[in-house]
Amino acid sequence: MSDTTITIGGIKHKNPVFIASGICGYGEEYSPLIDLSEIGGVVTKTITVRPRKGNLPPRVHELPYGMLNSIGLENVGLDRYIEEKLPLLQKRQADVIISVAAETEDEFIRIAEAFSGRDGYSGLELNLSCPNVEEEALDHGRNPKFVERISRIMKDRIGDRSLWIKITPNITDIGEVARAAEAGGADAIAAVNTLVGIDFDLETGKTVFTRGSAGYSGPGILPIALQKVWECAHAVSIPIVGIGGIATVEDARKFFLAGATAIQVGTVLFSDPDLAMRIVNALKEHPEWITQRAFSKERRIGS
Amino acid sequence: MVFTPADAEQFTATITDNIDLSRRYFMLRVARPEAMSEPKAGHFVHVSVPDAGRFYLRRPFSIHDCDATTMDLLVVELGPGTQALRKLRAGDTLDFYGPLGHGFPALDGKRVLALGGGVGLAPLYFYGFRTLGGCSDDYRLLYGARSREDLFLDHVALNQDGVKLATDDGSFGFQGNVVQLAEQELERVSADMMFSCGPTVMMRAAQELASKHGIEHFVSLENRMACALGACRSCVVPTHHEGPSPYRTVCHDGPVFPANDLVWDALPTP
Repeated sequence: MSDTTITIGGIKHKNPVFIASGICGYGEEYSPLIDLSEIGGVVTKTITVRPRKGNLPPRVHELPYGMLNSIGLENVGLDRYIEEKLPLLQKRQADVIISVAAETEDEFIRIAEAFSGRDGYSGLELNLSCPNVEEEALDHGRNPKFVERISRIMKDRIGDRSLWIKITPNITDIGEVARAAEAGGADAIAAVNTLVGIDFDLETGKTVFTRGSAGYSGPGILPIALQKVWECAHAVSIPIVGIGGIATVEDARKFFLAGATAIQVGTVLFSDPDLAMRIVNALKEHPEWITQRAFSKERRIGS
Repeated sequence: MVFTPADAEQFTATITDNIDLSRRYFMLRVARPEAMSEPKAGHFVHVSVPDAGRFYLRRPFSIHDCDATTMDLLVVELGPGTQALRKLRAGDTLDFYGPLGHGFPALDGKRVLALGGGVGLAPLYFYGFRTLGGCSDDYRLLYGARSREDLFLDHVALNQDGVKLATDDGSFGFQGNVVQLAEQELERVSADMMFSCGPTVMMRAAQELASKHGIEHFVSLENRMACALGACRSCVVPTHHEGPSPYRTVCHDGPVFPANDLVWDALPTP
């Protein structure tokens, strides 16, 4: 079989295809449909120090080219995750990247210390910009100084595991935030999180969600996500993990062309859970697609 | 108490028939994949919208009937997804995964009154006709609709013992809604347990009736779903459960819930 191995932060993954955060919870639920041991890795639902109950329903709204979600980071919290959920993924031999979010530096430190030295995961993905929460501090991923500082704090503590910084597309200059993460010692940029969007119910005259604005994902965001990866790839040297709107093998290829080292598949897995493995198998047939770029690294925009 | 959770897998099955039941209702008849584990009443399947051409989430359907070779899904045409499913013909394929969810509880000798409305008929029909082999005073199936046309009597064998029908306009059976019929039935023969599945307003009225008579009540809910596996937390409903989150997923914790667990004021309608 052709070699599809990629390396991020010194950690080898069997192929560049990951399941994005928020799709398959803590991993266990999707095991009837996806063989987690065959894909490059799984990014867990975002964990916070304290459990969160999430937003008032409704939480999902279908649109012609994607969906809006207003989940609100519902999760079981750090302690229960470590006790109950992490062991389940270890059983399934999945390669796990744990998504984490926090409101304060102290909370981030607490999370890093809870995972430091533990087995069963390859790295942490910092979710710095969820659009669906009340707490402003959970959306500080647009502040480059913060991003650099928190990257350093976390990387110092998780040692040999990799640190991915997941960046929001809802930002003027994504390159600036990417450079800040790189300067702070992050091993990879995960781009992008959901776009902020909104919809209205014409019968009630109200927003479809209680909170109004929500996260838009799915095929409709592909051109934007690709552009953000393109911008990041020209701004930094560390690997980019491309996320946003992948619905076909061709879409996945475009992320590599844009500069991604690895990709995450998300929303479309709700309709087409088989897609992740189809991308893995296509890359096994054509491993050259993984390193094919639409630019030469020497060309840098705006630097 | 509820049937054990379903054992899901993804299948591409062949449609053997698409039966027009009434103006908006149809029955998708599918060749049951050999590897599909045996569903129980209240389990559902998550169905891919065919010939998509745009993004669609899957649509969940409670299994109406299932034997060794055939699975029936009762569908009402409501929007673009179900509209596309209506166009399927014998020989076309259906991509689904399932069975999913927690179904209705075992009877354990209790007498049940089952109330259905709309596509809510599906899991209650399955329980009565497939699980129990027929309805009787031990499991009475009450089904209500607007008028005779909506009862699909030409296709679904509802006109028989143990089944009582209600129409709002009185064009068939009891004149009134299914909860009013249930009240009358309880005066005739009491029940120990109630199952209901249908519009929220119907289930809420059933809950009031069950509470009045001190009867244990189980409801099967529906909701828009993304993963349908309990992972994404999109389809949650509020419950009275203590602890960090009062929300439970319709797809995995449900779709069947003890009615007393639910915060009825906050459930999605209809």
